[in-house]
Amino acid sequence: MTQPSPDQPPAVSLRGIVKRFGDVLANDHVDLTVAAGEIHALMGENGAGKSTLMSILYGLLRPDAGTIELAGREVSFDSPARAIAAGVGMVQQGFALFDSMSVVDNVVYGAEPTRRGLLDRRAATAAVRELIERHELRLRPGDRAGDLPVGSRQQVEILKLLYRQARVLVLDEPTAVLTPAEADRLFVVLRELAADGRTVLLVTHKLHEVTAVGEAVTVLRDGRVTMTAPTRGLDQGRLAAAMTGREVDLDRVYPPGRPGAEALTVRNLTVRRGDRRVLDDVSLTVRAGEIVGVAGVAGNGQTELVAAIAGLLPADGTVRLGERDVHALGVRERRAAGLAHVPEDRGEVGAAPTARLADNLAVGFHRRPPLLRRGLLRPEAVRDHAERIVTRFGVRAPGVSAPMRTLSGGNQQKAILGRELAQEAPVLVVEQPTRGVDIGAVVGIHTELVAYRDAGHAILLVSAELSEVLGLSDRVLVMYEGRVVAEFAKDEADAEAIGLAMAGVTAP
Amino acid sequence: MRGLRTTALAVLAAALLGAVLLAATGANPLVAFESIVVGAFGPDGLPDTLAYAVPVAGMATALAIPLRAGLVNLGGEGQLVLGAISAVAVGLQVPGVLGIVAALLAGVLAGALYAAFAAVCETALGVPLLVSTLLLSYPAVSLAAYLVRFPMRDPGSSLPQSEQLPPDVHLPALADTGLTAGLFLVLAAVVVYAVVDARTPAGFEARVTGWGPRFAQYAGIDRPRLTVRLLACSGGLAGLVGAVVVLGFPYRFIDGALITPQYTWIGLLAALLAAASPLGTLLAALFFAALTSGGFALERATQVPRELTAVLQAVLIIFLAAATGLLRGRKGAA
Ligand SMILES: Nc1ncnc2c1ncn2[C@@H]1O[C@H](COP(=O)(O)OP(=O)(O)OP(=O)(O)O)[C@@H](O)[C@H]1O
Ligand SMILES: [Mg+2]
Repeated sequence: MTQPSPDQPPAVSLRGIVKRFGDVLANDHVDLTVAAGEIHALMGENGAGKSTLMSILYGLLRPDAGTIELAGREVSFDSPARAIAAGVGMVQQGFALFDSMSVVDNVVYGAEPTRRGLLDRRAATAAVRELIERHELRLRPGDRAGDLPVGSRQQVEILKLLYRQARVLVLDEPTAVLTPAEADRLFVVLRELAADGRTVLLVTHKLHEVTAVGEAVTVLRDGRVTMTAPTRGLDQGRLAAAMTGREVDLDRVYPPGRPGAEALTVRNLTVRRGDRRVLDDVSLTVRAGEIVGVAGVAGNGQTELVAAIAGLLPADGTVRLGERDVHALGVRERRAAGLAHVPEDRGEVGAAPTARLADNLAVGFHRRPPLLRRGLLRPEAVRDHAERIVTRFGVRAPGVSAPMRTLSGGNQQKAILGRELAQEAPVLVVEQPTRGVDIGAVVGIHTELVAYRDAGHAILLVSAELSEVLGLSDRVLVMYEGRVVAEFAKDEADAEAIGLAMAGVTAP
Repeated sequence: MRGLRTTALAVLAAALLGAVLLAATGANPLVAFESIVVGAFGPDGLPDTLAYAVPVAGMATALAIPLRAGLVNLGGEGQLVLGAISAVAVGLQVPGVLGIVAALLAGVLAGALYAAFAAVCETALGVPLLVSTLLLSYPAVSLAAYLVRFPMRDPGSSLPQSEQLPPDVHLPALADTGLTAGLFLVLAAVVVYAVVDARTPAGFEARVTGWGPRFAQYAGIDRPRLTVRLLACSGGLAGLVGAVVVLGFPYRFIDGALITPQYTWIGLLAALLAAASPLGTLLAALFFAALTSGGFALERATQVPRELTAVLQAVLIIFLAAATGLLRGRKGAA
C-alpha cells in the first residue's frame, strides 16, 4: 500500500461509517483509507455492505454515523450531485444508461455544455471525442448506447465520470458482466487513470482481479472490516477466510455424473434476426443426471439458445423434454412439462425488483398446492415457501416481505436460483448462475447444482466463466457465431482447446 | 405509516397553496375550506356526496382492474354509456323484477364485450390499448346519443332522453338517502376485486404483469389472454355502473348525464394515484368524490368561480401524485 505521507493526505478516508436498514447493520464502524493514485479493491460476501459503503461515499445514502474526508477535507454529501461536484464518481452495480440515446448524450447528460442557454451539441461531441482519444477507448460518440456490447457500455459509464472530472472513481462490480477480454481492457484503462493520479475503488468478487489490478484490498464481513492489506504476495486462501470467516475449498473437484435417459433434446434450433442467424442449426442433448456446459465468448448465441429452449424466443427446429415435443408450446406449458430456467438478466427477466421477495419466490408455484388451496392463495403458505428457499440457499434478506431490490445483488441471484431449483423440474437451464455471487456462495451454488444433477435431473449450464463450465460439466459444448463448433467430454476438456474453439479455431 | 404521513403532508401543502390562491382572488380561505367540508359532509351535502361517490368508486375500481397489470383502459366512458343504454333498452322491454336483473346483466355484458373488443384490437391487430380503448369510446357515446334522439326517444319530451323505466324496474331506494341498492352492487364489486387481487392465481398473475412485462413473460403468463380478460372485467364493471345509474333516479337515460359528472376521469385518477390497489383506489375515489361535491358547495357559497375549484383540485392532485411518486420511487443500490 502506498504510505500516505504527512504532507499528502489520503485521497479518500472514511472513518467509523455506520449504516443501518431496520434490523440490518449494513455498515458497522467501517474505516477505509485510500491513497491518491491507488487502485483499491473492496471485497466481501454478498450482503457484506460493499454497495452500501460505496453509495455512502457517492452521496446516494446518508450514513448514520462516521465521517468522510477527501484529500484531508471533511465532506458530507446529501446527493450524488454534491459528490460529483467534489470529484467523486460512481458506476453502480448494473447500468444506468439511456438505451435510446447516443454515447455523447449519455455522457453529458445532466452536465451539458450550453451556448446561450441551448445545448451545444458540437462542443459536447468534441469534448467526448477528446476524452475517448486521450484514454484510447474504443467508442464512437454517435453510437446508440442500446446497441453497444456490455463492455462498451461499461466504458461509457466510465466516460461519464471522466467527463465530470472525477478524481475518485467508484466501480461496483464492473466486471461481473464482462468477458475476460473486456475486463482486461477495463483494467488497462483503470491503471492509466491511476497513473494519472486518480483514485479507483473497485468492488469485485474475483480473487484474481484483486491481485491483477489492485494495490491494496479491504475485506468486509457482516458490515465490518476484517482485513486491509497490500495485494503483493497476498495469499488467496487468507483472503477467502477473511471474507467468509471459514476455510473455503476453492479448487474443489466434483465427481462425474451418471447420465441416464435423454431429458432435453434440441434439434436444428435456429433463430433469425433480420437475415442473420443468431442461432444457427444447433442440436444438443442433455441426459438425466448430467450437466452439459456451454462455453463461448458472450454474444455468440448462448442467450438466444436459452431463450429459445425456454420458449421466450420464436425459433425453428425442435425441442423435446423427455419424450414430449414442446416446440409448439408456450412458456407456461414448457414449464409445466418440466423445465426450470434461471435467466441471465435477473433485474428485469428473472425477478421483479419492486415486488416482495415472497411474491418473487411464489412465481411458478402459485397454481398448485401447498400455496393454492381451494382456489385461493394462502398468504402463510406463500411466506413459508419463501422462508424455506431463503433458509435452504442461505439467502440473506431483510425479510421475505422486503422488496426484492433491498437484497444485495448476489442474494437476489441466490433467491432466483433457489426458486428454480425448488421447482424440482427434470430439466434446468441455467445462465450465469454465479454472476455477482461471492466466492463462498459460488462453492455453495456449485454444490447445489451438482446435488441437483445427482438427484437425476438434467442441467444445461451456460456460463461466461470458463472455470465454472470446466469444473461442473460432464460435457462441454463451445459456441461460436451461433453454432456449436466443438464438443469435449469431461476428461478431454482443457482450457486451451476450449479457448481456441471459443475464438473460432477448431481442430480439423 | 410513512405513506400516511407523506399523504397528510401533501394534502396540507396543497391546502396551503390553495389558501394562497383563494386569498389572491379575494375570498377568505377559511370560509372557503369550511364550505367545502360542510358541502361534502354536512347534513345537506352528505347524501349528494354519497350518491356521487357510488359511480366514481365503481368506475375507479373498473379502471383499476387492468391498471394492476399495467394496462390502461381509457375507454371507460364508452363502456359506461353503452352499459347504461343497454340496461335501459332491456329494462323497457322486460317487465317485472326479472327486468332489473336482465337490465343489469345487459349493462355488464355490453360493457364487457365492448372493452374486450378493444383488447382484441391490441392483441390481434397490434393497435395499442391506449388508442383502441380511447377511440372506441367515442362511437359508443355517439351511438347512445343517436338512440335517445331517434329510435328510443321519449315521445313526451323534447329533451334527448329515453322513456322512463316502469316502476318495477327501478332499483330499490335506501330510505331517503338518495342512494339505491346499486351501492351494494358496487361494494360487492370492490370486495370481489380485493379478494381476487390478493388471493387468487389470476390476481397474482395480473400483479406479476404489472411488476414487469418481461418478468411476466418469463413466468409463462399469456399476456394477450390476460389483456382480454382484464379488459372484459373492467368494461363489465363500467357497464354495471352505467346500469346502476340509470336504474336509479330519474330512471332513464339522459344524453350526457353520465359524461358531465366526470365519473370516468375522476375514477381513473383515483386508480392511478392508488397504483390500482383495491382499498387505496376505493379511498382515493371517496376522497375525490367528497372534494368534488364540496367544490360545488364552495361555488354556491362564495361566488368563487368554478375554474378556481378546478385549480384547487388540480393542485391537490399534483401534490398527491408527487407524494405517491416519492413513496414508490426506487432508490438504493443492489
Ligand atoms: N434499501 C435497503 N433496505 C433494507 N436493507 C437493505 C437496503 N439496501 C441494502 N440492504 C441490506 O444491507 C446489507 C448490505 O447490502 P449491500 O448491497 O451493501 O451488500 P453488498 O456487499 O454490495 O453485496 P453484493 O456483493 O451481493 O452486491 C444487505 O443485507 C442488504 O439486504
Ligand atoms: Mg453490491
